Amino acid sequence: MVNDQPTALERFINGILPENPTYRQLLGMCPTLAVTNGMQSAMTMAGATAFVLICANIVVSLIRNLLKPHLRILVYTLTIATFVTIADRVLAAYMYDMSKQLGPYIPLIIVNCIIVCRCEVCASSQAVHIAAADAVGQSLGFTLALASIATVREVLGAGTWFGIAVMPAGFPNWVLMVLPPGAFITLGLLLGLVNWLTALWTQGRKAKPTAA
Amino acid sequence: MVDKPKQDNEEAPKGSTAFLHVGSSPHLSNSRLTTQRMMIDVLIGLLPILVFAIVIFRWFAILQLGICTVSCIAFEALFSAWRGKPSPLWDMSATVTGVILGLSMPWSAPWYIGVIASGVAIGIGKIVYGGLGQNIFNPAMVGRAFVMISFPAAMGAAAYLDPDGTLKIVTQATPMSVARSSATPLWPLFLGTVNGSLGEVSTLAALIGGGYLCVRRSASYEIPVGILGTIFILGGIQNLLNPDSTFTVLHHLFGGPTMFGAFFIATDPVTSPVTRRGKWIYGVSIGLIIMLIRVFSGYPEGTMFAVLLMNGVVPLINRWAIPIPVGGPVPVRAQ
Amino acid sequence: MNEQTKAAPEIRRKGGGYLGQAWLILVLALLFGSGLAAVQMALEPIIARNKLSETLLQIPNLVPGSETGEQERVNGQLVFRALDADGNLMGWVLPASGQGFADKIEMLVGLDAALETITGIYVLDQKETPGLGNRIAEAGWRDQFRGKPTSKPLELSSAESSIPHHVEALTGATISSESVKDIVNGAVASLKEALAKASGS
Repeated sequence: MVNDQPTALERFINGILPENPTYRQLLGMCPTLAVTNGMQSAMTMAGATAFVLICANIVVSLIRNLLKPHLRILVYTLTIATFVTIADRVLAAYMYDMSKQLGPYIPLIIVNCIIVCRCEVCASSQAVHIAAADAVGQSLGFTLALASIATVREVLGAGTWFGIAVMPAGFPNWVLMVLPPGAFITLGLLLGLVNWLTALWTQGRKAKPTAA
Repeated sequence: MVDKPKQDNEEAPKGSTAFLHVGSSPHLSNSRLTTQRMMIDVLIGLLPILVFAIVIFRWFAILQLGICTVSCIAFEALFSAWRGKPSPLWDMSATVTGVILGLSMPWSAPWYIGVIASGVAIGIGKIVYGGLGQNIFNPAMVGRAFVMISFPAAMGAAAYLDPDGTLKIVTQATPMSVARSSATPLWPLFLGTVNGSLGEVSTLAALIGGGYLCVRRSASYEIPVGILGTIFILGGIQNLLNPDSTFTVLHHLFGGPTMFGAFFIATDPVTSPVTRRGKWIYGVSIGLIIMLIRVFSGYPEGTMFAVLLMNGVVPLINRWAIPIPVGGPVPVRAQ
Repeated sequence: MNEQTKAAPEIRRKGGGYLGQAWLILVLALLFGSGLAAVQMALEPIIARNKLSETLLQIPNLVPGSETGEQERVNGQLVFRALDADGNLMGWVLPASGQGFADKIEMLVGLDAALETITGIYVLDQKETPGLGNRIAEAGWRDQFRGKPTSKPLELSSAESSIPHHVEALTGATISSESVKDIVNGAVASLKEALAKASGS
């Protein structure tokens, strides 16, 4: 029964692209749209989410044999809320400016569906090392997605990347890109791009008879 | 006959001369009523405005219009090729989008603003929805809204003003941006010898071109009449409440892109309602929103946002304003 | 999807009474609760220090001419004396807080030495609606409090107004604007007299 579940390596690789939380599962849209107006805030968000995801997956996996089906979501939420609060406090203590900038979005990780999804799909039925690999893979996938959106938005909208000017002097900032509409436009276009590239890639694989 | 649901609205098969085939409406009364003909009509309607813009803004107008038109056509060709669709350039819709976009620009906008606006208009305003006929929002206005929010310095009231300008016209503030403090004389406002976006200045030219469109039925008269009528009534009320105000109801009608928007932007057949009742609702609502934005918001002018907002509810209006066919309502069948 | 259905038998256990059902949650809640308490106890001083240093950093912006601040208790409330390089009193900075639309808003209010005008306000912490209410923290909006008289409580207006004690409310965030205005008014009203005495002494 356990055998037909993905292995640790598969879980890890799946999280990065084939089951990318943002581009393939369309989960966690709130931070994806809200904090990607700059690389710094996007990467802090990705880091905080990764911390919570990895810790929650490990804890849920450790107690997976004690879970009762009808109380499991309660346990996930309890676990996630605990780690989110820790992340929030640590940010407030050591990255005060960033914590102020992200404001309510750090506490909102509690309701980020990526984490509940991974607890449910993987951690509640698989061993700790697989759950950890899954969490790391998904976190990387989420980080990649946030980084791609934030790069487009920050470079076009502010002419900077990680706060460092990358565009030539006199570059007119596309203010709309750092505003909420820019988030939707960028996400939509990148989503289309990822789908298009995936389609090209699968077609290319089908063309080769050996790959089938 | 009445009870039977009408489904036979496809064209009569070739050679079936034995029966007189009558499909249900809409009937094409004229096979020359093509997209291309309509678009060329719009271009003819735009001619007086183009001439006025060039007379008043000289090379600035030619440059701006050239940039927007060429970029729109180029983006249309590029995106169509990318999607593997035959290039629909012959239908002239990209040209119309480009000209309208160019006419809605300030004379001073740098070249890249026209290019970005064109790319957004064609790409995000039209192609992502599936091309002409599928788009929800007026492409030219999507492009203009994008650059207006992105580059407020190059698109705002200050962009129109150049105290050292070589053209006398651009040394005056636009009539709408000074509306809250002073009023421009009416006659220049009507003729169009004032500062503003390239195509918005002349009420006279917009009336000539718009009249042509309405006579040719390439634009539905209900929409401009609805918009201008609402502005007239609301502006009139405001006028009566503040009799001392120098900014009269006629300033509301002649100033800013009211006329241009009412005749050329709001009437885009793709993004406006299809039924007569729907068109009235649509036109009156646009007029209402224009007045709301002008009187209560921080923007001096709101035609663009009013049209975009109402574009968004057109599908709803279309559902709401289905006309009752002759013989009573069609019985609703369970799906 | 099918992973979920496969997982079900594995995590199914015979349930006892309420305690049999809920013991895991109780234990987890206890563990996590004490863990969080420990984290809070360890980090609270650092967070408090961050807030204090942010306050001290803001003092020169809030009270023109001042360079540092000195903590002081007036009427049992914490206030900061804004001092210039020579230690002369340039004004006051009052930490103030109140209920916003979503959560508590923590602010700083700067007053001049004569306690007649507001010299600036600053938002230390807020969790207002992103995009609407959280614009209270933006400099563009906060700056309109600069130079407002303290003789009369401030009032909100919906458009720009030339009346001295009017501030323009944020579009779409009337409650957040209202809260900020109330917090500022409250801080000024509760401390003005006490501060007048304190600066005299």
